[in-house]
Amino acid sequence: MAEIHKEVYGMAVATDLYERLAAHGITRRDFLKFCGTLAAVMGLSQTAVPQIAAAVGEAAGSGLYPALWINGAACTGCTESIAQATQPNVADIVLDILSLPQMETVMMASGEYAEKAGEEYAAANKGKYILICEGAVTEMLDGNVLRIAEKPYVEILQHYAEGAAAIVAVGSCAVDGGWVRAYPNPAKATGVKAYLDANISNPKKRPPVVNLPGCPVNPLEIIAVVVNVLLTGDLTKILKDPVKELNLDRQNRPKYLYGSTIHDNCERRGHFENGEFVYQFGGQAEADNYCLYAMGCKGPQTYRHCSKLRWNNNMSWCVASGGPCIGCGNFNWVDNNTPFRQRMRRIGAGVIGGPGGLGIAKAGAIVGGVVVVGIGAHALASKATHRIGKNSTLKNEEMKTYDARKLKKKGGSADA
Amino acid sequence: MHKPLKEMHPPVFIVTHWINAVSMLILIMSGLYIHFPAFSGFMGAARGVHVFFGIVIFLNCLVRIVLAFFVKDATTMGTREKELDIRNWLPQKENRHQFFPMLRWYLFMKKDYPISAKYATMQKLAYIMIAVMIIAISYTGFCLWGVTNQLAIFAVGNNLVSGLFGFGGGGSLMPMRVIHYCLMWVLIIISLIHIYIATMHGFVAWRMIFLYKEDPDAGEHVDAPAQA
Amino acid sequence: MPSNVVIDPVTRIEGHLRIEAAAENGVIKDAWVSSTNYRGMETVLQGRAPEDAYYITMRICGVCPTSHGHASSKSVEDALKVTVPNGARLIRNLLEAAEFIHSHILWFYTLAALDYVNPAKALEADVANTYALAEQAGTSTADFAAVKARLLKLVEGGDLSIFTNGWWGINPLTDPKKADELYNPKMPAELHLIAVAHYLEAIEMQAEAAQIIALIGGKFPHPMTSVAGGTAFSPNDDRVAELLYRFTKLNDWVTKTMIPDTLAIAPFYVGALEYGGGCGNFLAWGVFDRKNQTLDSRYLPAGFIETAQGLTVSKPDVGKVKEYVEHTWYTSPSGLNPQKGETKAMQSWSDSSYNVEDKYSWCKAPRYDEKAAEVGPLARMLVAYLSPDNESNKVVADTVNGALKKLGITDPTKLVSLLGRVAARNLECAVISGWTIEWCAELAAAKKEGTAALFEPYTVKDKSGAGLWEAPRGALGHFINIKGGRIDSYQVVTPSTWDLSPRDKAGVPGPMEAALIGTPVADVTRPIEAARIVRSFDP
Repeated sequence: MAEIHKEVYGMAVATDLYERLAAHGITRRDFLKFCGTLAAVMGLSQTAVPQIAAAVGEAAGSGLYPALWINGAACTGCTESIAQATQPNVADIVLDILSLPQMETVMMASGEYAEKAGEEYAAANKGKYILICEGAVTEMLDGNVLRIAEKPYVEILQHYAEGAAAIVAVGSCAVDGGWVRAYPNPAKATGVKAYLDANISNPKKRPPVVNLPGCPVNPLEIIAVVVNVLLTGDLTKILKDPVKELNLDRQNRPKYLYGSTIHDNCERRGHFENGEFVYQFGGQAEADNYCLYAMGCKGPQTYRHCSKLRWNNNMSWCVASGGPCIGCGNFNWVDNNTPFRQRMRRIGAGVIGGPGGLGIAKAGAIVGGVVVVGIGAHALASKATHRIGKNSTLKNEEMKTYDARKLKKKGGSADA
Repeated sequence: MHKPLKEMHPPVFIVTHWINAVSMLILIMSGLYIHFPAFSGFMGAARGVHVFFGIVIFLNCLVRIVLAFFVKDATTMGTREKELDIRNWLPQKENRHQFFPMLRWYLFMKKDYPISAKYATMQKLAYIMIAVMIIAISYTGFCLWGVTNQLAIFAVGNNLVSGLFGFGGGGSLMPMRVIHYCLMWVLIIISLIHIYIATMHGFVAWRMIFLYKEDPDAGEHVDAPAQA
Repeated sequence: MPSNVVIDPVTRIEGHLRIEAAAENGVIKDAWVSSTNYRGMETVLQGRAPEDAYYITMRICGVCPTSHGHASSKSVEDALKVTVPNGARLIRNLLEAAEFIHSHILWFYTLAALDYVNPAKALEADVANTYALAEQAGTSTADFAAVKARLLKLVEGGDLSIFTNGWWGINPLTDPKKADELYNPKMPAELHLIAVAHYLEAIEMQAEAAQIIALIGGKFPHPMTSVAGGTAFSPNDDRVAELLYRFTKLNDWVTKTMIPDTLAIAPFYVGALEYGGGCGNFLAWGVFDRKNQTLDSRYLPAGFIETAQGLTVSKPDVGKVKEYVEHTWYTSPSGLNPQKGETKAMQSWSDSSYNVEDKYSWCKAPRYDEKAAEVGPLARMLVAYLSPDNESNKVVADTVNGALKKLGITDPTKLVSLLGRVAARNLECAVISGWTIEWCAELAAAKKEGTAALFEPYTVKDKSGAGLWEAPRGALGHFINIKGGRIDSYQVVTPSTWDLSPRDKAGVPGPMEAALIGTPVADVTRPIEAARIVRSFDP
């Protein structure tokens, strides 16, 4: 890595990459613009653009950076997502930047040869490769609920994790089990970090885990982390203080990718402030791009940068196309955010994780109603017993000896 | 029945009570609108107002607590005898035993109105609860507010409740949002009961707490020891 | 007979799969397909709001989330008797079409091509001859010299990345002849280079298709707007114009690159017309609604074909579907119709839990009228091809007949084979991409006429419904029962459940198992032919 980094300031950008990008119709200017986006994404100043371009170009021009991509209980959506990257595209990534001898969905080898490809590569690059994990870790049936090559996936994960330099958990499933762990969590799913913390032989030596929650992960999020690694250059530096070098927050997410909410940078934010809402799909309000908050949009409580990163080569993102945010970047996102069309999840029976009993509005109305009725009943009863009202016959009780004594002590009299 | 005299609620407490009541009303209304924006036009205003009065009610609560240690008020209704407010606020040794008689009275298990201090023991607990509730709601509010929720003191709370309630930890805001909302209902319920009980014997208490005016008939009815 | 062919894991598919087969004298005599993962989607959905199922169920599959979403919304609409308005119908058709085109391009080039194309041989190609061959084959050209140089650089770097071990244990650099025997050695190096160039180009094109999904749905994977009741997407004039522009570009590529490639490579694998046909029964629920929104009027209509009884299409009845679990790791009752279905996973595992004689898969065994049925493009194209009353019949028949003629095939029943299945998928892609242009025009016209409404409001009631639709890889059914305004039970019968099904109660093998049986395998340690069969289903 040091070699890759050393000429960064000398701007030894592999012209190779530019030529290839040009073949895709992407000019040098497009690429620099993309690096500018990355810089913005990573919270770097625009003066970092040449450095990013150099780091990516340099990486593309030199040997491949060792990596393995393993799939747990996944829908393959995160692989699909990285396949939607454009500058560089997935071919540039797997042929020019990262070596990925193990990436089930695109690798050429099958069966035992596929297994060997990863196995041998991991052995040859022990302690040097980045392990990218997609999909939940399912612990049901002692992990046998997901078997690959006649082994439980949990064994494969643990094996590769112990030899990795760093681990990137891509997508909500790998981060914390995603939808698979939603109540009642039938397959006993959990995230990569939680599984390793509980099972790795020497937890202190666990490689750093970078969490990239979201369903799916955004390719720019992965690229930003890779560029972060390339820019830092020195792997030993990263290993020494991963939290600082990779800029991680409490949940091991890169701060520059998860530091503000969808709502903070939403293009419909103005409509929110003006109180202009979509109350039903398909109407004029939707055509006018009004705010989707009243449709249950979870943007205000979802820490992710979709509104800035956007999706599919900058084409759109959920809210821009009219879909309220369902908070897929939140932890345990399904339980936390359902019912998606409501502002809040349900409470009552099954509140611990489950889909919940009562709608929150209903619950409030019921409790409030009970209290109002109770007060009314109490008032009526008080009236009937002549405690209150014009004909009140209420009188104070006879002072008890105790109270009288207390009062006397203070110099008062005992008539109440 | 005793009638409240001016010593019952010193003017400064009348001010804090006003601030409390108005803030609460505004907070509840703006909060409900923020959660269920049933009509359009006010979101920016509602949120601005909600945050502003959230801070106001929190500070007001702190001020009120501090003042309790410095301001004196009447020891009981109908007396001009004064005592440090905090003593009247917290359950006093000599009126703790009045808790059950009062409860029995409210449940129609006792005919005559029990003797009590300035506030009945139950009432005192309710008022302590209100202070606790305001602080708790303010805390949950700051946990949700984007400006403050990254501060360690609030992030810890978000992590705690999201882990505690089986939502997978990670500081998801939804559990805190639910708690914030439920606490509002608790506060509404306490307030409703408070209003009912304060009003059940007529509006004399209202005149005093809001207008600093004694009941015109109060003089005739002063039967408690008027002076020490 | 003990099994001597094992592929585990099957790569270049969505999800996790294991294949086991017993071959004798170079031919597979018996085969078992095992789905090795269970996640519990149907259980997770219980107790949640019916309209939430749209967002959650699409996460079953990251390649075809659009289709799952549509099937889910349709199940709710079927239960609540909501008819989607015309504008939403067209937008859903366009969204689903982009999904199909994306998936088919991705499948043919990224997933399946490496079973037919040898990237190592492309290094031997002469660049000038490659241009000549491309012109002759009628397919598009690329910077073949650059592609070759790029491959060369990768090889010289010594790290083959995703191509590592791709030749089943043969080193293509030291033993190129032996490596090429896995493919057809008669296929010229120049055609391999064309295919590799288009393999790289296809990555751009599948992304282009996905960008259309993102335009309508916000993102891909997991688009967000085809909610129950219609769509949340609002097609202003700019967006309609953008859709037309992008679909035209895709259609161009599919007809000028993908189809010629298919027809250029196919002659080298005509042997694959003789095996891999499978169970011979085909089922389609149909996809792409016409105005009246009935199953058999769809652009690709619903139908059931039992080839043993002749090439006729019968109207399918969802009541005839039953799911068997005898050979699966489920403990819920067997033989239930999915509308009344249950999913309960077994709770203990031992070394003998995987046993092809007993239980060996997480995939249930759905049967139509007690018969295994293949689903997918081959089923859809056959149904449309054999449904003279459907309006799509002519365009489908013309496309299929044109391809058969070019390949010199006179007997259309030969389509029930490995090569037929591969070809059907690509031909379907061309037919659908042609329709997208019409739909864009129809949407623009409907907007002018004011018949492009987007959403039909509804109230949730306690009812049951079925969403019958198609994913790119085959017939898809979502079955919902609503109680107390919530999901009481939810069942999904995916295309993979049909095609990858294990044996049923009567011991009848599933379609992929049936297709493997009779497949020739030259070398049981390098069963590339079996891999071709498996991937032809796009599992």
